[in-house]
Amino acid sequence: MKKVLAYSAFIAGPLIIIFLSLFIGRYPLSISDVLNVLGFKIGFVELKSSDTSVNVIWDIRLPRIILGAIVGGSLAVSGASFQGLFRNPLVSSGILGVSAGAGFGASLAIILFQNQSTYIYLFAFSFGLLAVVLSYIIGFNYNSTPTIMLVLGGVIVSAIFSSLVSLLKYIADPYEQLPSIVFWLMGSLASAEFQDILISAIPMSIGIIGLIAIRWRLNILSMGDREAQALGVNIFLVKGLAILFATLATAGAVCVSGIIGWVGLVIPHIGRMLVGNNNQVLIPVSLSLGAGYLVLVDNLARTLTGSEIPLGILTSLLGAPFFIYLLKRTKGRGW
Amino acid sequence: MALIQVDNATFSYGKERVFQNISLEINKGEIFSLFGPNGCGKSTLIQCLLGILNLSGGTIRLGGKDVKSMKPQEIAREVAYIPQVHEKSFPFKVIDVVLMGRVAYTGLFSIPATNDREIAEEALKRVGMIHYKEKPYTQLSGGETQLVLVARALAQQTSILIMDEPTAHLDFRHELSFLETIIQLVKETDITVIMATHFPNHAFYFENHNISTRVALMNDNKITVQGSPLKVLTADNMSSTFNIQSKVLSFQWEEGDSRQIVPLKTL
Repeated sequence: MKKVLAYSAFIAGPLIIIFLSLFIGRYPLSISDVLNVLGFKIGFVELKSSDTSVNVIWDIRLPRIILGAIVGGSLAVSGASFQGLFRNPLVSSGILGVSAGAGFGASLAIILFQNQSTYIYLFAFSFGLLAVVLSYIIGFNYNSTPTIMLVLGGVIVSAIFSSLVSLLKYIADPYEQLPSIVFWLMGSLASAEFQDILISAIPMSIGIIGLIAIRWRLNILSMGDREAQALGVNIFLVKGLAILFATLATAGAVCVSGIIGWVGLVIPHIGRMLVGNNNQVLIPVSLSLGAGYLVLVDNLARTLTGSEIPLGILTSLLGAPFFIYLLKRTKGRGW
Repeated sequence: MALIQVDNATFSYGKERVFQNISLEINKGEIFSLFGPNGCGKSTLIQCLLGILNLSGGTIRLGGKDVKSMKPQEIAREVAYIPQVHEKSFPFKVIDVVLMGRVAYTGLFSIPATNDREIAEEALKRVGMIHYKEKPYTQLSGGETQLVLVARALAQQTSILIMDEPTAHLDFRHELSFLETIIQLVKETDITVIMATHFPNHAFYFENHNISTRVALMNDNKITVQGSPLKVLTADNMSSTFNIQSKVLSFQWEEGDSRQIVPLKTL
């Protein structure tokens, strides 16, 4: 009974947060406005609210909130998976260089194509994937991929792409391009439109669903390669799938949102404190927590001041004290 | 036919030869001990038996099938493995660790079912650890952890159990209770046990308990002698393998006749 309640809370939580977030913002909306517009768009009631309400709810707030939820979920789930795969609780979703690669791709697109969002997505996504492929090739050795080699591959590739980003910043036009690059690197959901969600949601959903599907096998990978194989796991295949799915999820998230740190590291830990380390439960819970957390933080990012606060700043600024509080309360149990 | 048949097995890492021309037959229901000095290739041979490493020459057959042609999943349904050192990473619950033994029976995208859970609980009962079911296994002592790993191996429902120096980190009491658990298992389930060990007295211990036991003495990249403990674990063989003087003692106590070998001094 307790279990059923907890599970429903993890499912309902993000949905409630998403719904309530529709009310948050400059333009005031009543419950009847929101329900009416949603009902109208789904297609079973007549429109009674103003066109502005439709615009604010359907075209501005809802896409951004949904995007926030998927991005937060993707980062958290891939972070949790990588922590299990690399047997290291300090690992986050960017460990194999996907964020650094995407940062470089986006910066390059900003310089080459003057801020056209389609190119930014495309470049960020492709270079994010490319970075992981490079890390994998560096880590690949004698028909296997030892964890330490993969981590080193990721560190090397991240370093290369970070320097390349610095190089691009150095040569970028300081009035037009440089601010765009810097702002992109700090992360934001401000540009979200339905069309963006549809495109980026494809890799993110494949990644999330894939990781949920192999979540129990992640437990076994965290026993180490030798034991996992002796238990009957095709480690080469499962490791490859885990890296593929986590990379699709992260690259999909980063390409639309920019670099949002902290979610992929800390949300899985909050999940560990709440439900333990069994990935069978932890992965879905991380999805729920990550989605809820990013929507909440984004609400602050878009309403706290007159202009937008970059999301990447707030995720760590708000998350860190909360994490300290949890650490102190649970006295570090769960590690 | 032997359960495990090793013919002319040779293994090398690049140019460095670890062992060569090893031939063994291991039969159902016996405890087979691999005994020899550090670095003689016991652990490497074990990993070849498990299909984790591939032989450079020769063959290993499990129930008539060449290990090289078997998938990890197939091997894991025949052979379970208890490692020498288990590095704990995350504080999984004891039951979740034992459930991992069921992975060879679940599909790539599935999770353990109710009957897997029952099998895991049954395995925990067998090793006397069922009360620790919900505890994080990182909080267990070395001896308790080893028993949990035995339970995980039992959950694999294999006919062969391979252990690599399983009592290396245990104290007197835990070592004995571990050996007692193994003896009970072999008597009740007819499981075949292969273990690498540094303690010759383990082999005598099994023999003292009337279990069919053989020992292979490994040294200088090969198996020098194999056979019953009494034939292999002699003062002469100890002297030629380890350069030590030792003596085999026979004595009587409440539960019957026993034999042990005692190391005396280095030569």
